[in-house]
Amino acid sequence: MARPIESRRRTTVPGSRPQPPSKTRKTIGFVAGTAVIVACLLLVDARWENLSELPGNLGNYVSLMADGVLSNPLEDPETGYWQRAFELMLESLYMAWVGTMIGAVVSFPLGFLAAENISPRPVVLIVRQILNAIRAIPELIFAIAVMLPIFGFGPAAGALALGVGSVGTLGKLTAEVIEGIDRGPVEAARATGARQLQILRWGVVPQALPEVVAFWLYRFEINIRASAILGVLAAGGIGSLLSQLFAGTRQWDRIGITLVVIIVVTIVVDLISAAVRHRIISGGKQQLVEVAETSSIPAAS
Amino acid sequence: MSVQVASTAVGQVDRSAWPRKPRPRWSLWFGLVVVVAITVWSMISIEFTLAPLFTDLTRGAEILERFFDPNWEFAWRIRDAWMETLYIAVIAAVVGNGVALFLSMLASKITNPNTVVYQGFKTILSVVRSLPDIAYGLIFAAAVGNGALAGILALIMFNIGINAKLTSETIDAVDVGPLEAADAAGGSRIQRAWSAVVPQILPNYTSYSLYVFELNIRASVVIGIVGGGGIGQVIRVQLNQFQYENLGAVIFALFVVVFLLDRVSVWIRRRLV
Amino acid sequence: MIRFSNVSVTYPGGVHALRDIDLEIQDGSFVVVVGLSGAGKSTLVRAINGLVPLTSGSLEVNGRHVEQAGRRELRALRSEIGMIFQSFNLVKRTSVVNNVLMGRLHQTPTWRTLLGWYRPADRELAMQALERVEIVEKAYVRAANLSGGQQQRVSIARALAQEPKVMLADEPVASLDPPTANVVMRDLQRINRELGITTIVNLHFLDLARRYGDRIIGMREGEMVFDGTGEQADEKVFEDIYGRSLTADDVLDLPAQVGLADVVEQRTDGESARQDPS
Repeated sequence: MARPIESRRRTTVPGSRPQPPSKTRKTIGFVAGTAVIVACLLLVDARWENLSELPGNLGNYVSLMADGVLSNPLEDPETGYWQRAFELMLESLYMAWVGTMIGAVVSFPLGFLAAENISPRPVVLIVRQILNAIRAIPELIFAIAVMLPIFGFGPAAGALALGVGSVGTLGKLTAEVIEGIDRGPVEAARATGARQLQILRWGVVPQALPEVVAFWLYRFEINIRASAILGVLAAGGIGSLLSQLFAGTRQWDRIGITLVVIIVVTIVVDLISAAVRHRIISGGKQQLVEVAETSSIPAAS
Repeated sequence: MSVQVASTAVGQVDRSAWPRKPRPRWSLWFGLVVVVAITVWSMISIEFTLAPLFTDLTRGAEILERFFDPNWEFAWRIRDAWMETLYIAVIAAVVGNGVALFLSMLASKITNPNTVVYQGFKTILSVVRSLPDIAYGLIFAAAVGNGALAGILALIMFNIGINAKLTSETIDAVDVGPLEAADAAGGSRIQRAWSAVVPQILPNYTSYSLYVFELNIRASVVIGIVGGGGIGQVIRVQLNQFQYENLGAVIFALFVVVFLLDRVSVWIRRRLV
Repeated sequence: MIRFSNVSVTYPGGVHALRDIDLEIQDGSFVVVVGLSGAGKSTLVRAINGLVPLTSGSLEVNGRHVEQAGRRELRALRSEIGMIFQSFNLVKRTSVVNNVLMGRLHQTPTWRTLLGWYRPADRELAMQALERVEIVEKAYVRAANLSGGQQQRVSIARALAQEPKVMLADEPVASLDPPTANVVMRDLQRINRELGITTIVNLHFLDLARRYGDRIIGMREGEMVFDGTGEQADEKVFEDIYGRSLTADDVLDLPAQVGLADVVEQRTDGESARQDPS
């Protein structure tokens, strides 16, 4: 569509005013978009009148929560509340970490199989579809569908669900990084007569690893939040505590303490993770290459 | 291996002239050890084991069987819930992304020269982002009652958290030349942001907004389970009643819906950006 | 009239960019400021529209004091002063005419900017500005698709759309090849002659400075070391301003005696053919 306009303009005489581009498409797009939004607003069965209660209720909750957060944490029962929240937040971190590691280990070889410049085309297509399929399913569904019947309820099942859920995105991102590498070293390795595995190990892995590791860390940040979701299914962690607190009599002081723990721990972990990611991507690139060359990080096993 | 090749080829050369092989920095090995230690410690703490996969597989077999014998008629019967999930996702994406654009302007030093204010907004955004969607679901279900409204409100917060952070980082990286030109022409701060910044960030912002919309379908399921209406509410009921045939149908259908929407959003992104 | 009285500018970090500048620029004149990079040329020009705040002294532009202007007053002042930049500073992802309309920001209510509904009169002004720099046929092309010379002409049009009384140009040709640089300088000269807009241009090429400047001001380490006509500014003067002997980098590689017609013929950057503006 943009092309015909271009060519029409090119034929205009220099110095004469061109026709303004047609606005029809823009207008149609705008009207259609607005119509969809209005339709959603009209059709959704939301009790909008309850919106008027929102500010009052939220203000009320916040002041109740502030009571809990601001009261002396060294006295009972607040000490217990803080302790329990920290313990379960830690459990969430464990779940997220183990899940991320499972995702990393499984997705790494899959990333190679899904990279067009490494694997044969049929393999790429099949693996890509598998990864897409995994990405489409929320972790919660994994937990419900497969983990809970076999593993029973608990953080281990949660970690496994997070792990499987991570494979989809991590595999896709790994493949994209591998496809974006500089071809020079690969060709150089091939020119020395190296076997395929050796090429991957020396030509591809050192280039791709920093970015891939950064993605692992980023996924860890996401998994922390996802682990809270799994808690609703009694998979443990901070999510379990939250849903218990809300299901019962809603002790807002305790909820407030729990939310503060979530916010603080998540922000701290995010900051650390972001700092490490920056180091890996920029300054640490050289170092990771060294690690790749001196350690036995699984290359393409 | 390459070292071996080299040493045989230049055997007679004075090796003392060679540079020392650099030792990998200790911090790296330290990091690696820390990672392994954390992993092992975490696995012990949550009693992680793959044993049930081998010993208890039969326990799940019956459930899995029912799962893979989905009751398709049920997935169709709850079409209203499907539509509600879609409405919720659209409304929340529109409002959330709109608010996110505004907040990201306030949370970037490029568009907000007041250091205190922009740092303040940055902090608020990272707090908003740190809470999981489930927490918002629970809070809003408490505040306005179970149903679609709670779902919409929770998703709006979730969307603001994701999009505002990404967009404000994009704004931090824009070319400041046009902003200087807008200043030199006597434009106000709002005019400057709109005419010099928005055109530059539009491709990224559109991508983020569509990404957020994709996430919304999945997230609204989760939020529905804790009282946000839509398909999540259906899942919760069926789960409580152990209706695995129905659950199977819903989950397969959800998979198809998310997959299709993913394609649609890729298509839109290609057209717009 | 622009009047600098004892103007000094010190940047945070202690760099003295301007020291005690006293300077009067008459309405309608074409002034070229020369000097090495870091000599304070840029600061001098940017002080005039308040992009750089004064440390001390006073600066009067068209009867208004820049150093006393509040934010609102400063915007009003800036709207009367067009500015052209070395790197063009166009929004590359949007159309040429939208870039030129940025020159109308001050006269346009905010809600109109947000909706993109500029007044028809403003649109007309923008098109006229594009016609004046002879690039109107590109009005709906994305700025990113233009050559460097074309982009600089668009940015001149953006400044013209402000209907300015003063035009500032900070190294407008430093990113352009010699033939294009001459075209842009001639556009600026023509606008100065035809519309009587006071024009102040930073340059570091002495041949361009001599050819186009009615008045040349030499800057060195934040101080004015020369103020005279183009004829007075011989090589000796430039060596004095630069504090060293001249090199090939100080001239724009184009023999000064080349006529305008030759320049037009020499343009090789694929710009649309233009009539000789003289």
